Amino acid sequence: MGVQVHIHKTHRVSTDGKDVVQAEGNCVGECLEHLVKQYPGMKDVLFDKKGNLRNIIEIYLNHESAYPDELKKTVRDGDKIHLTFMLAGG
Amino acid sequence: MAFLTSHELERYDRQIRIAEIGKRGQEKLKKARVFIAGAGGLGSPISIYLAAAGVGAIRIVDRDRVDASNLNRQILHWNDDIGRAKADSARAKLARLNPATRMEAICDTISPENVAQLVAGFDLIVDAMDNFPARYLLNKTAIEKKIPFFHGAVHGFEGRAMTVIPGKTACLRCMYRGPIPEETFPVIGVAPGVIGSIQATEVIKWIVGIGALLENRMMVYDGLAMRFTEFRIQKNPGCDHCADTSGKG
Repeated sequence: MGVQVHIHKTHRVSTDGKDVVQAEGNCVGECLEHLVKQYPGMKDVLFDKKGNLRNIIEIYLNHESAYPDELKKTVRDGDKIHLTFMLAGG
Repeated sequence: MAFLTSHELERYDRQIRIAEIGKRGQEKLKKARVFIAGAGGLGSPISIYLAAAGVGAIRIVDRDRVDASNLNRQILHWNDDIGRAKADSARAKLARLNPATRMEAICDTISPENVAQLVAGFDLIVDAMDNFPARYLLNKTAIEKKIPFFHGAVHGFEGRAMTVIPGKTACLRCMYRGPIPEETFPVIGVAPGVIGSIQATEVIKWIVGIGALLENRMMVYDGLAMRFTEFRIQKNPGCDHCADTSGKG
């Protein structure tokens, strides 16, 4: 069953246009690893050259902010992860 | 309390008829002093709706001049205003919209050196900026002064809003991971129209003391999907802006 990862529309160019991708793992980080395995273009979207989550990326788990230590948060089957980014415009 | 004149009772009749506002709420709006940071895409609808609602005093600050590329969204500024200071343009329009609002428009850059003086004497801060450093500066200032901070931001067809009540809620800095590069953001004018209207709604509710504010809730608007999504935000005990305010972390 796994976890639903909701992709922001700006990033869907890296997921063949898919807005939701199924991923598996025991924590958010493992789910994102599985996402990147399926869609390698998401690696640069989410992580910097050192492998750290980019500052602009926000992760919500079941509609609640996963900050801090987002990647370590435990997930269960059926959970929803939303990947968004901070907006600057005004 | 600021009593209403017969002209004001007529002018604001339709909102005074709202049970949650009434004459007492209108008097609170008349007495309110609102600081708006930015006279651009968000600052335009925010200032227009707050002036129209009868807010007593508005100070709006913007350092820029009107550029042709602003006009798809910054509805305070018109074609004839290209090249004019946005502060001057905003003052002229808002004064014509509601001469009773004490309107002050300042052409300046909001900085660590002047921010405390700029917001001194105002009841709240509305975020209508276009960059993170200024937003964080205003967030911190609001927390230090213990006045609410009404956050809004846009990108493309999307936008978000959240209300920060110092000592009570999460703040904008509670999810801070590090600096973010500046960008020239894409945006369609209706996006700041929606988000600015939400921010103005939050301000009116807070002033009057009604409704449920966007406390610990980030409201995200997706105009393409035409969907609002709400995300819960927790107060960060280690936040370098708000952790000490409540005394509880």
